[in-house]
Amino acid sequence: MMTTEHPGGMPSRTGSRGFDAFVPRYTVVERMHPITKILAVFCLGLSAMSWPTPWLGLALVVALFAVSFLAKMPREFAKIMFGFGVPISVMLLFIQGCYSPRNVTFIADLGFAKLGLEGILYATKLVVTLLVFLGSFYLMNKTTYTGRLVAALTASGLPAKMGYLVLASLNVVPQMQRRMSVIQEAQSARGLRTSGGLIARIKAYLPLMGPVVMSSLTDAQERGMTLETRGFGIRGVKKTSYVEVQYTVLDRTANWLLLTFFILVLVVSTLMRLGVIPAWGGN
Amino acid sequence: MASAIEVNDFSFRYQGDKRYALKHLDFAIRQGEFFCVVGANGSGKSTLCNALVGLVPHYFTGKTRGEIVVDGTKVSESTVADLSSTIGLVFQNPFNQLSYTAGSVAEELAYGLGNHGVERSEMLERVDTVARLMRIEHILHRNPLELSGGQVQRVALGSVFILEPRILVLDECTTQLDPLGGEEIFDVVQRLNKDGVTIVMVDHDMERVARCADTVMVLDQGEIVALGTPREVFTSPTLGEHGVSAPDYVSISRALVEDGWDIPNIEITEEPTVAMVRGLLR
Amino acid sequence: MNIEITELEHVYPTGERALSGIGVTMAGTEPVAIIGQNGAGKTTLAKHLNGILKPSGGRITIDGVDIGDRATCEWAKKIGYAFQNPADQLFLDSVRKEFEFGPRQIGMPKEQIEERVVRVAELVGLQHKLDVHPFDLTPVEKRFCTIGAVVMMDPEAIVFDEPTCGQDLDGNRRLERIISELRDSGKLCITISHDMKFVTANFSRVILMCRGQVLLDGPARSVFAQTDILKQSFVAPPPITRVAQKAGLPDTVFGVDALITALKQERDRRG
Repeated sequence: MMTTEHPGGMPSRTGSRGFDAFVPRYTVVERMHPITKILAVFCLGLSAMSWPTPWLGLALVVALFAVSFLAKMPREFAKIMFGFGVPISVMLLFIQGCYSPRNVTFIADLGFAKLGLEGILYATKLVVTLLVFLGSFYLMNKTTYTGRLVAALTASGLPAKMGYLVLASLNVVPQMQRRMSVIQEAQSARGLRTSGGLIARIKAYLPLMGPVVMSSLTDAQERGMTLETRGFGIRGVKKTSYVEVQYTVLDRTANWLLLTFFILVLVVSTLMRLGVIPAWGGN
Repeated sequence: MASAIEVNDFSFRYQGDKRYALKHLDFAIRQGEFFCVVGANGSGKSTLCNALVGLVPHYFTGKTRGEIVVDGTKVSESTVADLSSTIGLVFQNPFNQLSYTAGSVAEELAYGLGNHGVERSEMLERVDTVARLMRIEHILHRNPLELSGGQVQRVALGSVFILEPRILVLDECTTQLDPLGGEEIFDVVQRLNKDGVTIVMVDHDMERVARCADTVMVLDQGEIVALGTPREVFTSPTLGEHGVSAPDYVSISRALVEDGWDIPNIEITEEPTVAMVRGLLR
Repeated sequence: MNIEITELEHVYPTGERALSGIGVTMAGTEPVAIIGQNGAGKTTLAKHLNGILKPSGGRITIDGVDIGDRATCEWAKKIGYAFQNPADQLFLDSVRKEFEFGPRQIGMPKEQIEERVVRVAELVGLQHKLDVHPFDLTPVEKRFCTIGAVVMMDPEAIVFDEPTCGQDLDGNRRLERIISELRDSGKLCITISHDMKFVTANFSRVILMCRGQVLLDGPARSVFAQTDILKQSFVAPPPITRVAQKAGLPDTVFGVDALITALKQERDRRG
């Protein structure tokens, strides 16, 4: 039986691939339904956002690190989170700490400004929310074969043409890059200087635009013809897909858990803000 | 024998063009025939291919006169997608035949089936059958964009053939391949023809055309200037006027005659020519 | 023009070894054809000639200067390269401008450019289409526009990458005329081609490549006599040559006239 369980293809000889995002690692996270993962991004991110203090968000970030281990990509995940998280934290902490209108209690004096506690707490919550969104999106992206994502979305009602656009653009960009480098070679063979200062390089790129655009257009036209002959856009037919996406028990459970979690968080946060329940973890 | 394709006094002019690209074409192609179309660049070969599958006039608009009937269906009254299960088109640039939505060859092959709403279980079966037919089982998992030209062309041919058309139109589909790649494709095409698939092939390689065609049609400026068996067409003295050369073997036979040698026949393919020359040496 | 290639190696960024130890010399004006299956390394080798690709190992010198000593755009003055796909090289809005572009880039004086435009346009058959937009040219004319644009720079050597791809009879004839005129005016013509009819009709020296190595290098006649090696490399001699070989004629012949002559000689020899 030749059918593929893990789509995505093997690495290429030229070092660039059509579907750059996806390298199969055969983990549980990969097998989960793409829509469940999208749901996770929204539920977790919005939960972190609604909770009045940074603590929930922080707990979620830790949980995401745990998921990254499950997805066999802890190093890359850490790189992204710290690579983005550290600079943004420093920046926000500084700005909010020194200049936030919320500042009432001051904990330090830097000379040119005073650091306020409220501002710092606010900044922390912002950072942590951003990290939850970023981290969950990154994990979703890296563990989902785009073909499966589009198949799942199409099955849930995404118009076929949109699905095509998503997939085709992902592939067309590397293809255009390849054309660009071929055309660059061709032009340098006519004496066009392609290295040097910024101005020189911009001047060098202008002659490339014509051939790149034209060849892309010709290709696009031929591709349009191809799609027609492959039945793209037939009306009145329910599309089927080679790439199979099915909900498993795990997915359904996860969906329920995520939704329940989010609703709970929403309810409790509202009650906390209204003062009905004492704020948990500081104000 | 029933006609696979009937072209009835068909003319076509692209939107915005003054000249007619195809003029009063009138011919028929029998089921199971190996029909080759040759002609100089610009003679209308590609336009004809597009007209057979309905891209003309449904995708390339313009003025049409006359009618093309494919397997009993009038092209003008159908759509390209509907025709795609009867007649398939493979064109020159293999990479432009890809859907750009597939991460593996298997998905690429199945793409057209998905659009037609074929059940997944049947999809899997057809993918396996076609992969074996095209001799691409070993690359089913590979990303189509990373294959060689010859492999991509076979994937393209497979993805057209998977819709199970009984007629295949091949528009110079070996031009961008090296000789080995071209032979591989051609090998597949011949096997399909043996199984009864009608083949309409546009080609520049006259030796290949002479070898395999049942019928050859020469186009010049959109008109039919010759139509007949390879022998009839390639031994015609006016062939050169239309920008088409005869297979080299014909020039061998002709030169021998001119030089005073006594030969039984003008030969148009390799083996008979070799046998003839051997005979002359005895 | 003297191109010396010694122990040339090229490894692509992916680790693929495209060339392993190529040693070739090209000098004078004898037209050279590089043949071999796709992936044999023909284009890789050719792209080293004008510095588009740089060696991973070994050396190339052109008239004594190492290829790495100058940038690609500078080598354009000496070695022209007509790419396989004309659309990759054409971007201006008239044939005339395409012709003028290269020479301007390399600093050719204006009067010389103007004079050359007339001559080159005639050489490639576009003298009546100088003000046409390149995209309005037929595919064959586009190719000749590219060739013209390269010839305009007056290089000493020109590489033709698969020039017969998609050509019809008329196009091939014009191409033959161009190559013979270039040769007569002292240029070194190098081609990469799959078209054995074209190769044997125009190129007296043939280099056969296979898997990154040179298998055969010599007069076309001797290369095409080695049918076993050709078979291994998936290269077949042109039809007329094949007929002669299979019919038992001892010589490797190109073209019908040569076949007839060889036939007569063999018949006389056999008595």
